Amino acid sequence: MTETPEFLVTVPTRGDGRHPLRRDRGDWEERRPLPAFVTDPRGGVSGPSAHIAQVGRAAEIAGLDGALVPFDPEGEESLVLAAGLLRGSRHLRVIAGFHAGIATPVYAAKLSASLQRFTGGRLDWQIDVALDPVVARAHGDFLQGGDRYARAEEFLTVAKGVWHEEGYTYEGVFYQVLAGGFQPPNAGLPFPRVHLSGIEPGALALSARHADVHLFDPGQNLDVGIAGLGDRAAAEGRAVAYGLRLPVLAREDEEEAWREARGLWALAGGADEDFPRPDPKTGLWPGFDRIAGPGALGLVGSYEGVAAGIRAYRDLGVTTFVLSARPTVEEAYRLGERLLPLFATESQKETAHVH
Amino acid sequence: MSIDIYWRIGTHGDQPSLRRRVTSRGEWAPVVPGSLAPGVRHGRRDGYSYVEHMADVARASEVSGFVGGLLPSFPFTDDPWATAAALARETTTYRFMIAYQPGFLHPVQAARMSATLQRATGGRLVYNIISGGGGPAQLWWGDRVDHDDRYARTSEFLDVLKGVWNGGPFDYEGRFYRVEGAGLPEPLARQPFPEIYFSGSSKAAIEAAGRHADYYLSWLEPFPDLAAKFAQVREHSAALGTAPKFAVRIDVLARETEEAAWDEIRRGWEHVDPSALASADGDSVGWLRSQSFVSWPVRHHRELEVSPNVWGGFHLLRGGPAFGLVGSYAQVAERLDELIGLGVGAFILAGVPHLEEAYRVGEEVLPLLKGHDVRVASPLTAALSDSRA
Repeated sequence: MTETPEFLVTVPTRGDGRHPLRRDRGDWEERRPLPAFVTDPRGGVSGPSAHIAQVGRAAEIAGLDGALVPFDPEGEESLVLAAGLLRGSRHLRVIAGFHAGIATPVYAAKLSASLQRFTGGRLDWQIDVALDPVVARAHGDFLQGGDRYARAEEFLTVAKGVWHEEGYTYEGVFYQVLAGGFQPPNAGLPFPRVHLSGIEPGALALSARHADVHLFDPGQNLDVGIAGLGDRAAAEGRAVAYGLRLPVLAREDEEEAWREARGLWALAGGADEDFPRPDPKTGLWPGFDRIAGPGALGLVGSYEGVAAGIRAYRDLGVTTFVLSARPTVEEAYRLGERLLPLFATESQKETAHVH
Repeated sequence: MSIDIYWRIGTHGDQPSLRRRVTSRGEWAPVVPGSLAPGVRHGRRDGYSYVEHMADVARASEVSGFVGGLLPSFPFTDDPWATAAALARETTTYRFMIAYQPGFLHPVQAARMSATLQRATGGRLVYNIISGGGGPAQLWWGDRVDHDDRYARTSEFLDVLKGVWNGGPFDYEGRFYRVEGAGLPEPLARQPFPEIYFSGSSKAAIEAAGRHADYYLSWLEPFPDLAAKFAQVREHSAALGTAPKFAVRIDVLARETEEAAWDEIRRGWEHVDPSALASADGDSVGWLRSQSFVSWPVRHHRELEVSPNVWGGFHLLRGGPAFGLVGSYAQVAERLDELIGLGVGAFILAGVPHLEEAYRVGEEVLPLLKGHDVRVASPLTAALSDSRA
């Protein structure tokens, strides 16, 4: 495993801030007022897209490979944010997260073809299949259980069909197309790389047939998941890359990192006596549950320590790391300057010196 | 009442003039030396994409006094949602009029995308809702709902979209859509709801427009036919207790003199392939109507001038609807004033090439309008009208 892993940042879809509970960057809460005697130029100039654009620029300047805009039913819409991020960058790959119920597969593909044209093919998809049933019904989706995978299967089949084949016709349970298919210049573009997730058999079977990257979470059993998915993909004659969504808190040394973690824990309302310890076996810290979202597990430590944790996942076969860290702009810079260089290959270092 | 004047942004490339049907902007034709966005530099593609050109058209029409731009949607075009989202941050006052057919996007997703766009633009999103079109193309889109049913679906679509707009929880059980506990999250909720321009010439469309439209939008037709259509909409709307305003989508070819304008048309006409006379396609009533105003075949281009300055041959010189205005700046302004007199409250103007003609029409035609005060869109035109006052 000598290949340099791919690092992405997670875009905040419902505000951002230094304080783990504040969301005033990106217009999700009022900014704190300045004293009355201080001239305040901020009125009306900082909308949500101003902050998202700033996150995108930071990620790009910091040398990250991409940005994930997750499907967030309680947040901003991901395809719109992705379009702005792609337009404001040159190199960043942007993954837009959504579910199969948002549109017909033809329309999702059509919209995506435009974004591919505008941006040199830098849009990727993450399809969420196993939505919380309450969220799904609020989005007009009443499918349950295995039907959701069957529908996602058709969705991806049709989207790829119209993308790659002129005169495409399809007759399925969920979708129908007659003499479809894109024409130049909407034809012949790279299809968005498909990211899928989930550990249950239906999810792995779908990934084996359609995923370019399967995203795991640190709480899942990656050994079993990767082995199972690898076998299924091989049986389909395909290869799937493995990714990990990973909250990180990396600082100069262990002591500083844990001091920061304690500070965030307290700001998020955690009692000092409840401050959780990292799992002695995996090194994963459950305290992210409070500061990064329910159930989140991630790595806390020195840059070298976090890099060692990432290398352990890389040894399992993970090549894509979707990192999350708040506040997103500052942390993207930090990761780009301090963590990513630890993964530069010898040839990259030499190239950097030459210039 | 102030009149909103929009420009059109071509979402499938553009030609440098009406003289020849050559698409040199965008890659809808092979990219060769002389092509723009993408272009060729040192024998290779220059890395630009068509969105750069659309951004130029948006900025040009914004600074020329247009309130916004229509982004059309067809199987072969770029997608208007993608375009609006990409360009949202590159203009300041410009409204993005997104053409779409309900049914391709789920209404909850359309509400989410719209609210995020409203937040990104400070409320500059406008809808052009199309329900008709159809024919074979409808199944190209993967849509199997019949023509008249599509209007029923549009009604349900807007019920759900408006239902979730201000938050939740919203429940709905219709023929086409069902949601439970739906609603936009804070603070996406309660954004200004986009104005609705509603297109469609069939009876079903006119009935639906009465219920949902802020503006009933028509292609240009001979003025008496347009007036009759408006009367129909007024009648249907009055029965429902609503009163939509009217908007017309018009191609304009305006020059300093009438002769110069017709000379431009004549040069284009010389290259029209006689076999290219388009045939009716699909179940669009609007298209059939526009073909019925002229008796084919036609030999001379002026035979398509059905009344002064109203010319029905634009579809032969570029893709799109047949009717537009041809004449001097003053004549075109007079015709637009006449339409204002018929009750038109908004225009979507267009000209080929869209970039250069946006400057021309904005600078030369709009200032001549007398009908009503034109809504001032840009700081530049605001300053000019202040200095004239």
